[in-house]
Amino acid sequence: MASSSQFKQLEKLGNGTYATVYKGLNKTTGVYVALKEVKLDSEEGTPSTAIREISLMKELKHENIVRLYDVIHTENKLTLVFEFMDNDLKKYMDSRTVGNNPQGLELSLVKYFEWQLLQGVAFCHENKILHRDLKPQNLLINNKGQLKLGDFGLARAFGIPVNTFSSEVVTLWYRAPDVLMGSRTYSTSIDIWSCGCILAEMITGKPLFPGTNDEEQLKLIFETMGTPTERTWPGVSSLPKYNPQFPQHLPKDLGALLQSQTREKLDGSVIDLLHGLLKLNPDKRLSAKQALNHPWFSEYYQ
Amino acid sequence: MSDAKALRILFKSPVTDDMIRYLTNTTLKVIPCAKDAYPSPPSSPRSPRSPRSPHSPRSADKTSARSLPSLMTFISRLVRYTNVYTSTLLTAACYLDKLKRILPRDAHGLPSTSHRIFLACLILSAKCHNDSSPQNKHWAEYTDGLFSLEDVNLMERQLLQLFNWDVRVCDEDLYNALEMLLTPIKHDLVRSRKVFSRNYYHQRNMSACSSTSTLVSMSSSASVMSLPKLPSVASHYDTLYAHSESAATNMV
Repeated sequence: MASSSQFKQLEKLGNGTYATVYKGLNKTTGVYVALKEVKLDSEEGTPSTAIREISLMKELKHENIVRLYDVIHTENKLTLVFEFMDNDLKKYMDSRTVGNNPQGLELSLVKYFEWQLLQGVAFCHENKILHRDLKPQNLLINNKGQLKLGDFGLARAFGIPVNTFSSEVVTLWYRAPDVLMGSRTYSTSIDIWSCGCILAEMITGKPLFPGTNDEEQLKLIFETMGTPTERTWPGVSSLPKYNPQFPQHLPKDLGALLQSQTREKLDGSVIDLLHGLLKLNPDKRLSAKQALNHPWFSEYYQ
Repeated sequence: MSDAKALRILFKSPVTDDMIRYLTNTTLKVIPCAKDAYPSPPSSPRSPRSPRSPHSPRSADKTSARSLPSLMTFISRLVRYTNVYTSTLLTAACYLDKLKRILPRDAHGLPSTSHRIFLACLILSAKCHNDSSPQNKHWAEYTDGLFSLEDVNLMERQLLQLFNWDVRVCDEDLYNALEMLLTPIKHDLVRSRKVFSRNYYHQRNMSACSSTSTLVSMSSSASVMSLPKLPSVASHYDTLYAHSESAATNMV
């Protein structure tokens, strides 16, 4: 068990969902770390987010998941000691904005990041863990081009019959349509939708579905992907927030839509992968493993 | 497979006295606790090295001579006040088992230790397995003044440290911890399957050898009557589930 005196606290890196993150220096080893400080509110006790994040991340050892080294628990503060990463994907993309024009990343980099994202997600899912808050801010990157999943504050174990789930999960822009319509029986497909949104965002530099509330979010999704029907998605009309009055849209040409926002030439393969990740019907969405086997990634697995 | 099915049925049924009794016994087996409110001899003069023993009495034990309820009463009240899900409640048994494995064999507790242990395990179960769960402030209120908020925070922190933050639960943990409750359900499932296949066999035989449909339906219903009276277990529990689900919506 580490003690807080072992670390020198340096500059603030940001605010997480329930904590403040600082850069830190391990005085004995000279290694930089990220110190995530959770203020303990005595009325709440130890936050469930912290309990789950620690319990799940302690066991998740994978090169595309940020490592949790240690936990320092005192009466009024909980400090999680993480592997240090240079940047996050959101800040990195922002830094490449020219004037007011967001720029997409080079396709080769997009592919490398998406590959690593899906590797991390596949490992979580193999270990029966849902991340439930995948977005560029929570994807940490370093100067070697490595990408790792961070912030498991909303993560949950799945598969055992104990769990009850809320549909108030995942940051709005990256939230799957089934969850937006109130599904509580979601599983791994909830993370896959986010991976699709992130892929499109890396290509264009702009969020794919930047809604401001649940209704608008669904509207943006349906305008591009088409409005689902019982025929295209059996069971959709039984979801709690399904509305038979949803305006009917036909799917747009996603390839043309994205091509108009980037100078790089998009091939059919990446668009095909996007369609697999962004299937409205969660049962038809690709699994992380299937996505990793998609031809677009063939250069990595050949 | 039948474990999985029995577990699903168990979790969908409402909380019963049997479950509470089972949890009470499981908790009592974790660590021997003094029955008497004042079990220890007068404490030795305070040594400067240990100003406070790790088990120094806190609020519950100062007043417990008159107010410490039996563990079963304590658990029953928690269940009533919180309207806790059956699954959340019973999963606490996994943490009780885990704690029993971790604690040294010669560990022993104060009269209220078993109450603390149970409450801390239930809190962890609620925080880990539900997206919304009561705050410790509320848990303290549910103890009817037995424990203060500070007590509750401390017991939660100590349990997390004992578990080294590993609060994951897998199917096997549940099967082991709840075996006593699962076995009768598994028996029921086997029996109801037998009844079903016997009925099915009778009906097939009779429809094969009888010539009129009226006769078939008469004799097949007679054959059902002659069987020992066994409600269909699965549908029985399904009804309970519908009930418990609506009752549980405002819980935790």
